[in-house]
Amino acid sequence: MSSKDDDEALIAAALNGSTFAWEKLVRRYESRIYNHGLRLMGNPTDAMDLMQEVFLGVYRNLHRFRGDAKFSSWIFRIAHNKAVDLSRRKRLLATQYRNDAAAGSDGLEPIASAHDEPDQQLGIKQRNTRISALLESLPLQQRLIVELKIFQSLTFDEIAQMQEISSNTAKTRFYGALKKLKMKTEETDVLP
Amino acid sequence: MSCPKTEHLLSRYLAGDMTPLAREELFRHLADCEYCGAEMRGLDSVQRQLGSWNDERVPHWDRGLELFRREHRVPKDHGKLPNLWQWLPTATSIAMLCLLLLNTSLVNSDQGLSVTFGSRLAATEIEAELAGFADAQRAEMQALIARFEQRQDNNNVQLLQAVMEQTQQTTAENLEQIYTYFEQQRLQDLQAMRASYEQLVDSDYETIRSIEQLAQYVSYQGDLR
Repeated sequence: MSSKDDDEALIAAALNGSTFAWEKLVRRYESRIYNHGLRLMGNPTDAMDLMQEVFLGVYRNLHRFRGDAKFSSWIFRIAHNKAVDLSRRKRLLATQYRNDAAAGSDGLEPIASAHDEPDQQLGIKQRNTRISALLESLPLQQRLIVELKIFQSLTFDEIAQMQEISSNTAKTRFYGALKKLKMKTEETDVLP
Repeated sequence: MSCPKTEHLLSRYLAGDMTPLAREELFRHLADCEYCGAEMRGLDSVQRQLGSWNDERVPHWDRGLELFRREHRVPKDHGKLPNLWQWLPTATSIAMLCLLLLNTSLVNSDQGLSVTFGSRLAATEIEAELAGFADAQRAEMQALIARFEQRQDNNNVQLLQAVMEQTQQTTAENLEQIYTYFEQQRLQDLQAMRASYEQLVDSDYETIRSIEQLAQYVSYQGDLR
C-alpha cells in the first residue's frame, strides 16, 4: 500500500470517528510540521502554536480533502497559510528563540531520546539555532520560498501555485534569498 | 568587481532547470569568471548549511485527541473494533513467542496427533526422571510395607505372649484350686475315718463291756449255785 493510499485510509477511518486513525495520521506528520514551524517562526513556542493550529485546521477541513492532491501537499498548504497568518499576528517573531536557547529552556524542550547523547543534542540544537537565526534575517515571503524549496523539496511551479506568483518570480525570490543568506553568513564569519 | 551575467546564470542554476547546453555555457563562464565562481560556491555553501538542519523531537502534546473525542461523537462500537484489530498482531506475537519459548511441537504418532512441549532431549530426560522417581517411590513403598509387616509381627508375638502368660496363669490358678479341693476332700475323708474309727472303738468298747457284764453275770450265777 502506498503512502497516499495509506493516508487516505487513515483519513477515511478518522472521518468515521477512529481516534486511532487520527492519532496515527497526526504522528505521521507532526515532526515535519513542527520543524517547519521552528524554521519559519524561529522558536519552539510559536512552532508548537503553529503545529496545533495546523492540525486543528486539518481536523476542521478533513471532510473537504478530496484526494486529488497528496495529503502531504494539502497539509503543508494549510501550514503555509497558518504560518503567514501567525507571522502577521506576531510581529515580534524571532529573537526569543535565540535568547531562550542561550538561557537553556523555554519550557518546551523536546524530550531527548535514550540514544541521543547530550553533546549530540547540543550540537544539533546549536546548528538549528544558527539556521533559524539565518532564516530570521529574511522577509517572510523569501523565508517561505526557502522553506518550501529546500526543506519541503517542492518545485518552483508548486511554490508559485501555492504563493500565487509566477514561477520566474519564485526563482528570483529564491536566488535573492540565498544571496542574502550568503551575505549574512559572510558577515557572521567575519565578525568575532 | 562584479559580473552582469551572475544573477541570470545563477538563478537558473539554482532553479535546476538548465538545458545541457546552458549548463555547458555556465561552466565555461565559471572557468573564466572568478566572481561568478565564488558566488556559486557561496550559494552552494549556504544551501549545504541549510540542509544540515536536523529535525528536533516534538514536545509532548495530546495530538488533538481530546478535541477529536469531544467533537467527533462516535458510537462506542466503532471505537472498540479497530482497537481489537490493533491488538491482534500483538496477541499473535505473544502467542508465537510462548510457542517458541516452550519449544512446542506437533507429533504424529500411532496414537494420533499430540502436542509436546520442550525438546525431545528434554522429554527423554523427563521420562528418565519420572522412571527414577517411580522406582524410588516403589522402593520406598516396599520398605514401608516391610516395616509395617515387621511391626505387625512384633505386635502378634507380643499378643501371643500376653495370651500365653494369661493362659498359664489361669492354668496355675486352676491347678491350685484343684489341689485345694483335693486337700479339703482328703481332710474331710480323714475326719470321717477318724469318726468311724472312734465309733468303731466305742462299739468295741460296748461289746467288751457287754462281754464283761456277761462274764460277771455268768460268774455271779455260778457263785449262786
